[in-house]
Amino acid sequence: MDGKKSKESAVGGRTITRHEVEDFLYREASLLDEWRLDEWFTLFEEGGRMEVATTDWKGWDSSSAGSFMCDDYDLIKARVKRLKSRKAHAENPHSRTHRMISNVLILEQGDKTVWVSANFIIHRYRDGGTYSYVGRYEHVLLIEDEGLRFRFRRSIPTMEAMDAGARLSFIL
Amino acid sequence: MTQLTQGYPISSLVREDGEALSFKVHRSAYRSEEVFQAEISRIWGHTWLYLGHETEIPKPGDFKTRTLGGRPLIFCRDSSGEVQVFLNACTHRGTVLCRHSEGNAKFFQCFYHAWVFSNSGDLSALPGDDAYVDVPEFREAMRLRSVPRIQSHEGFVFIAFDPDVPDLMTHLGEAAHYMSLTAKIGPAGMETVPGVQLYSVKGNWKLAVENAMDGYHFAPTHNTFVGYLRETGFAVTDDDQYAYDLGGGHGLLILTGHNGRIGMVWEPRFGEAEKERTALKRQEMEDRLGPELAGEVADASRILFVFPNLLLFDLEALTIRQLDPVSAGQTNVRAWQFVETDEPAEVRALRIKTMVSFVGPGGLATPDDIEAYEAVQRGIEATANAADPAFDWSDMSRGMANEQKGNQGRSIDEGAMRSFWRHWATVVGQD
Ligand code: FES
Ligand SMILES: [Fe+2]
Repeated sequence: MDGKKSKESAVGGRTITRHEVEDFLYREASLLDEWRLDEWFTLFEEGGRMEVATTDWKGWDSSSAGSFMCDDYDLIKARVKRLKSRKAHAENPHSRTHRMISNVLILEQGDKTVWVSANFIIHRYRDGGTYSYVGRYEHVLLIEDEGLRFRFRRSIPTMEAMDAGARLSFIL
Repeated sequence: MTQLTQGYPISSLVREDGEALSFKVHRSAYRSEEVFQAEISRIWGHTWLYLGHETEIPKPGDFKTRTLGGRPLIFCRDSSGEVQVFLNACTHRGTVLCRHSEGNAKFFQCFYHAWVFSNSGDLSALPGDDAYVDVPEFREAMRLRSVPRIQSHEGFVFIAFDPDVPDLMTHLGEAAHYMSLTAKIGPAGMETVPGVQLYSVKGNWKLAVENAMDGYHFAPTHNTFVGYLRETGFAVTDDDQYAYDLGGGHGLLILTGHNGRIGMVWEPRFGEAEKERTALKRQEMEDRLGPELAGEVADASRILFVFPNLLLFDLEALTIRQLDPVSAGQTNVRAWQFVETDEPAEVRALRIKTMVSFVGPGGLATPDDIEAYEAVQRGIEATANAADPAFDWSDMSRGMANEQKGNQGRSIDEGAMRSFWRHWATVVGQD
């Protein structure tokens, strides 16, 4: 199957291919690795949300349990603004990050949204330290004519805990 | 016995000179493994330590395993509802008994030779017991080992590995009152929720304590967070906010102008619905606690440090943070959201979102604190064995002159750090 938008979809929507989801995730990864955060922020629909689950996560929603990040749209915007500032000391200078994304799956295709998962390994380098963050994404993506956007972006670390120095000062 | 650390006995790593208004800490106190070992034995081995909150194990049989002071532990509620804390090592040959991080169990079975212990510590199954002489006596002798002391205050469970420590309330002293204030926020009590932040920092545990007791860093370090609050319509101020020495190494900052408090002091980022609820909740608190106590609980934010490893952040919302030192240069941290029992779902969601966005390794502020203590830990290597030994001391004299005049120390001075270090020196520096 090629990456073109197929029209033969469920009611009103269009069928999303894994290829299209992969392109979306790869592009997101490169925007983040290149610290092009304004562009990254445009990948969210207005009102989109982002979560990073804790390592004891058992499927609960961040409105009832703790998490590492649970940003609504305004907080994502504030986070981007902060990370672009020279006063975001934890990320000045920026960490070098290198993201590998694989095992992309379409879990469920709906009319307006598609639910996808993928594995990630993010290597982060700073101050002579090397850190790897291993985990899984589970996103709800909004299907638009011109592409996909985040309705809900969730990262689920696989590690048992954040290793020494492995803080979450960047976008996981 | 005198412990030498680059020529200094531990007792002289903290130098205070009241006349010269000088207070200095030798940087080997953060760097030296020798000092660290002394801390593990003299503090972690002989002081009450914060282990966990009773609401983490609400039902009979609930358990969590965690390490504290290097010792793997089982924190559980036994079938009769009593909180138990065991050394997580099989009494037979020492295997880690419970290898799960949490769960619910009546029994813990060691996989190695299949000994079974009840959740109150009895050795309830001993396979092939005919090979032992006096089985009842042997079973009794081989009970699961409890930590010597377990006591709690307001649901906060503390343990001590030394059976002879004074009572928990004696240890907590004035800090107990501030824990009680926080416990009174919710009409139905307070509880921890799942979603525990487990992380680790490349910094000495005392840097994490200093950072929490240090209002001086707030404006410069959290410049971007202050900017974010300003944009939401809230102006942070450091004026008229104070630091308190609670004795026993415990410290407290009382902050009035740093943030709103969900349900108690409204700020614009909490939204209009919360504004109305805040008025109602304040009324409820006054009815329940009386106006004076309600004011004390609600009006100001507090950062409480209970020596040596509990930080209670009672700010916009609440976080319990536990420090567990691994080595001189590394500290494991665990942090729980602490919430009002039975609060409305939308308040719970607001509370968690607000707190996680500030406090925690993925927040808009805490990563900069972590950056600070990690940068200190790296920076102090520069002055180790420096040509001029005077370079290897950190300064904590800010506000001493004001304090000596008899004024209450400001949160933006370093008084709460000094009281911590004075206590540290008396505990670790016994030569
Ligand atoms: S070590 Fe546990 S049963 Fe032998
Ligand atoms: Fe801070």
